Amino acid sequence: MKKGVMRPGHVQIRVLDMDEALKHYVDLLGLIEMDRDDQGRVYLKGWTEVDKYSVVLREADRAGMDFMGFKCVSEEALDELHKGLTEFGCEVEVVPEGELKDCGRRLRFQAPSGHSFELYATKKQTGKWGLSNRNPEAWPRGLQGMKATRFDHCLLYGTDLDRTLELFRDVLGFDLAEQVLTPDGKRVAQFLTVSMKAHDVAFIDHPEPGMFHHASFFLDTWEDVLRAADLISMTDTSIDIGPTRHGLTHGKTIYFFDPSGNRTEVFCGGDYHYPDHEPVTWDAGELGKAIFYHDRQLNERFLTALT
Amino acid sequence: MHNNNEARPDSEVQTVHHIALNEEVESFKASPDISVLVAMERAGQRLIPVGCRGGGCGKCRIRIVQGEYFSKRMSRAWISPEQEAEGTVLACRVFARSDLVIEPDPPEIGTSCHAADQSGQ
Ligand code: FES
Ligand SMILES: [Fe+2]
Repeated sequence: MKKGVMRPGHVQIRVLDMDEALKHYVDLLGLIEMDRDDQGRVYLKGWTEVDKYSVVLREADRAGMDFMGFKCVSEEALDELHKGLTEFGCEVEVVPEGELKDCGRRLRFQAPSGHSFELYATKKQTGKWGLSNRNPEAWPRGLQGMKATRFDHCLLYGTDLDRTLELFRDVLGFDLAEQVLTPDGKRVAQFLTVSMKAHDVAFIDHPEPGMFHHASFFLDTWEDVLRAADLISMTDTSIDIGPTRHGLTHGKTIYFFDPSGNRTEVFCGGDYHYPDHEPVTWDAGELGKAIFYHDRQLNERFLTALT
Repeated sequence: MHNNNEARPDSEVQTVHHIALNEEVESFKASPDISVLVAMERAGQRLIPVGCRGGGCGKCRIRIVQGEYFSKRMSRAWISPEQEAEGTVLACRVFARSDLVIEPDPPEIGTSCHAADQSGQ
């Protein structure tokens, strides 16, 4: 049941060197720099996004994800969610308005998976980049690299998938869209959605809490994914795997790394989900095919290179 | 006059260093402008595990037993300041400045993907 959480709103990623990172996220991926703050953080977004930014880069001495934020429908919904989180047993920190530029108060909490998440309802809207909201053209000129359209989801590795599912389903109103089950019924992967997308956030069972696998960005077509692959080779960017297709969600995808070792995905297509849909289940014995539908083989790096 | 063909001079003379593994005969060549890890990959060898190639995941951790090198920033999640001082580094962030003798030192990364066990891969 919906609880007023609307969509993935932002992700803050730690990078070892900001200048190198901007070559990746702006020149190659095609995000647009929207702002910077006095902590040195850089605010970026994909061109179709209406809110001012969706990716925040922070220079730090270790790579990984600081937090992922979800935008909610209203400040009132946020108050209700605050109660729900507290009842569930989460410690909620209220991050004051303006800590991230042009963003309202944020409720920060840790999921049993070990990751920090945030809920917020207010962020400045600058509209789609380079387009008017009135009689808009098809796309703006002047986009760079892969021309990523939007921040789409994160895949996170961590602990206690069951309790994490309870939190996201019962408190935040997500649905379980897809899962991977072992023969004895243990869920080792869960893809959760709060929209019609096959996933807005996904978790894979891992002994160490709070690990970051990738942030993903949406492209329109398979041709765009192939073009992204060309750009990865042209720039000698560290490749992980692809272009290929996932069994899970059936998205068409390519994975590569930013210069600090954080994984980036660009993808197109994928299944859709309505609240009355049963979860799609993959058997762990078919995991190779579930992850890489064409290779049908697990790639050790994909499972263990995390930040 | 300027065209793109001239953008990359191909005749730059560069010193190529030899990277050898402790207690093994295998070695590979590394020019100083590419990381030790990528040099190994280009030589078609697998002495060091390859992950992100960006100093973030820790998979390529090695000890440099002997030789001079330059290193870029490496994630503190895998290399403490003490380790860095003793020559424990991430191969994807170091560049040879002389011949090197190295030793792989990959960290324990739990691959719980229990699922992976289940699938027998
Ligand atoms: S390959 Fe990831 S730290 Fe070197
Ligand atoms: Fe993904």
